[in-house]
Amino acid sequence: MTAIVSIKNLHKHFGNFEALAGIDLNIKKGEVVCIVGPSGSGKSTLIRCINQLEPFDDSSKVKISGVDVRQDETARAEVGMVFQSFNLFPHMTIRQNIVLAPMRVQQLSEQKANAVADELMRRVGIESQADKFPRQLSGGQQQRVAIARALAMGPQVMLFDEPTSALDPEMVGEVLDVMRDLAVSGVTMMVVTHEMGFARQVADRVIFMDAGKIVEAGAPDKIFDNPEHQRTRDFVNAVLQH
Amino acid sequence: MYSSAFRLRDTAAYILALLLLSGSASAAEITVGANVGNVPWEFQDAEGDYVGFEIDLVKEVAAKLDASVEIVNIPFSGLFSAVQSGRIDIAISSITVTDRRLESVAFVQPYYDSAQSLTVDSQSDIASLDDMRDKVVAVDTGSTGDIWTTANTSQYDFAEIRRFEGIVPAMLDVQSGRVDGYISDIPGLEYFIRDKPYFTVVQRIETGERYSMILARGNPLADQVNDVISELKRSGFVAQLHREWFGSEPLPDSSTVSVIDRPLSTSVGGTDAGFVQTFLNWEVLLNSYPLLLSGLSVTLMLGAISIAFGLMLGLFVALVRMYGMRSASIAAKVYIDIFRSIPILVLLIVVYYAPPFAGIELSAFTAAAVALSLVSGAYTAEIFRAGIEAVPSGQFEACHALGLSYRHTMTDVILPQAIRVVIPPLTNNCINVIKDTALASVVAMPDLLKQANQAQALEANPTPLIVAAVMYIALLWPLVIMVGRLEKRFRQEFSQ
Repeated sequence: MTAIVSIKNLHKHFGNFEALAGIDLNIKKGEVVCIVGPSGSGKSTLIRCINQLEPFDDSSKVKISGVDVRQDETARAEVGMVFQSFNLFPHMTIRQNIVLAPMRVQQLSEQKANAVADELMRRVGIESQADKFPRQLSGGQQQRVAIARALAMGPQVMLFDEPTSALDPEMVGEVLDVMRDLAVSGVTMMVVTHEMGFARQVADRVIFMDAGKIVEAGAPDKIFDNPEHQRTRDFVNAVLQH
Repeated sequence: MYSSAFRLRDTAAYILALLLLSGSASAAEITVGANVGNVPWEFQDAEGDYVGFEIDLVKEVAAKLDASVEIVNIPFSGLFSAVQSGRIDIAISSITVTDRRLESVAFVQPYYDSAQSLTVDSQSDIASLDDMRDKVVAVDTGSTGDIWTTANTSQYDFAEIRRFEGIVPAMLDVQSGRVDGYISDIPGLEYFIRDKPYFTVVQRIETGERYSMILARGNPLADQVNDVISELKRSGFVAQLHREWFGSEPLPDSSTVSVIDRPLSTSVGGTDAGFVQTFLNWEVLLNSYPLLLSGLSVTLMLGAISIAFGLMLGLFVALVRMYGMRSASIAAKVYIDIFRSIPILVLLIVVYYAPPFAGIELSAFTAAAVALSLVSGAYTAEIFRAGIEAVPSGQFEACHALGLSYRHTMTDVILPQAIRVVIPPLTNNCINVIKDTALASVVAMPDLLKQANQAQALEANPTPLIVAAVMYIALLWPLVIMVGRLEKRFRQEFSQ
């Protein structure tokens, strides 16, 4: 079994506050992992540590395909990230947003980068928007562009940080559909989400976090229907009764 | 019984008397403009009081007219428009009577026969005007020294004329070696260098010029002042002043001793100068146009160079301040704070006059460009910092997540967004830099303001200044309008 993402004893402090209190986690190739838990439990911090958006304690280790992310700067290019607030480049067209990193980081020719972009825009259903600017698109469309932009680098794992939380309710579905397609096609994914339906349906494994720790992890049915821990039960009950 | 009409007339006469009284009360003070520092004619002594040959003379004249004197310090080239506009009644400053000046202002009878002189560093091997071939000459802007030197440039093959606003800055540049000689009124120079053996007057240049006071044309005070001066010559007061300030007897047939006629304009129909004649004089405009155009090109060049260097410097400093090592970041902040607090004029003078003493020779243009770039760089750095900080942190995170290098993050993503935020304040800064180039005229830079000043002193008419103002406006107004449009457009883009 080869782990794409390998996290050992991950500690992260914000001043005196311990945001992550020792996380151990391995993600297999093709696995879809959804991370759920209450606000402030450290879900977002966990995936932000994976691509070095947050520094973490020296004793901790995060590896992507066996490469320590702190040893090798190029490791973070192997990790794609989709943000809650899209973070598209507002001064560039959709196409320019997508081809920038392949051309600058992977040194692809413009022609090749465009071919990659065309393919990805089709895949997320925004091919007709190629020459528009982000502000001309709806939130759902913008988030699909962000997914295409991250995929353009051919990452080994895709991280999603609450990708639908900033969207109007009617646009949540179109983004989840794209993510579902990715999951089915074998993309390795870590998804921080509040969409329990999506987690139950798509995830291979659901991780419940609280207070900077993994409280419980397992198949969706187990976590949602038959949790071991009281805290997991309380959380699931609170969310599902909603 | 008086008729009511008669009473009314009485009342009117009473009011008129009051007005006349108050009128004569204000006439009892004579405002005198002087280029203070022009030794030994008008300068400040150790106590800060105004003293000098002409100060004593004008005070005595006023005393004879039962008036008090208020002295106003005005640079030489500004004296002519000051009397024309009525800001001052009389101007003194060893002003030479010339036909050209007589067309614009009124002179009283002269009281001193003068000449020009060439002063050099005592260690130089220049012994006369003939040794000034291919050398740089300093003069006072618009003075008779300026007029004489300009007229004789081809005869003596001077390399260049640099124009200063007074004896002290000019002599500093003689000392520093930036200029080779200074051509100026001989009495002032001999007085100035009497305790400075490192300067030598090597040649007297006879110009037959005579000094007198100027007033506005048509000012009735001129005749009164002239009469008093006649009286003071006859009583020996003026000759006494000569002994006091120069330590020698005046020549018996000189204008210091003998009463002479008031010099009058030779041009026909030259009466009171009207507003248009004074401020929008077409002939003066045509005469001074080439000078103003050359000044405009210097201003544009200095502005463009300072803006370009200021931009590069500012961007670099902003990046160092935001992302540099701690010590470099602190240095950048100190630089920004210092150069935003220092008045440009002070910096300009320091940059111009200090390096020569350390053996570094900076031309006036270089010194001005350095000073303006340094200040512009400090302001630009803060503008860039504000622009970069206005870019949301999510943009940096997205670049990081995509694996973009720092350089590409900046050039492809952050700066193109920051530039939209910074263009309006940057354009404002450009406007300020161009306006600040006018300050460079203090270091003998022939910029637009300097040339306008020279032209107005040569013509004894303020029209060149008005034309210069129009040129500045024509240059900067489009930029001002552009700032407004860009700000509006940016606000709209942001609100989308």
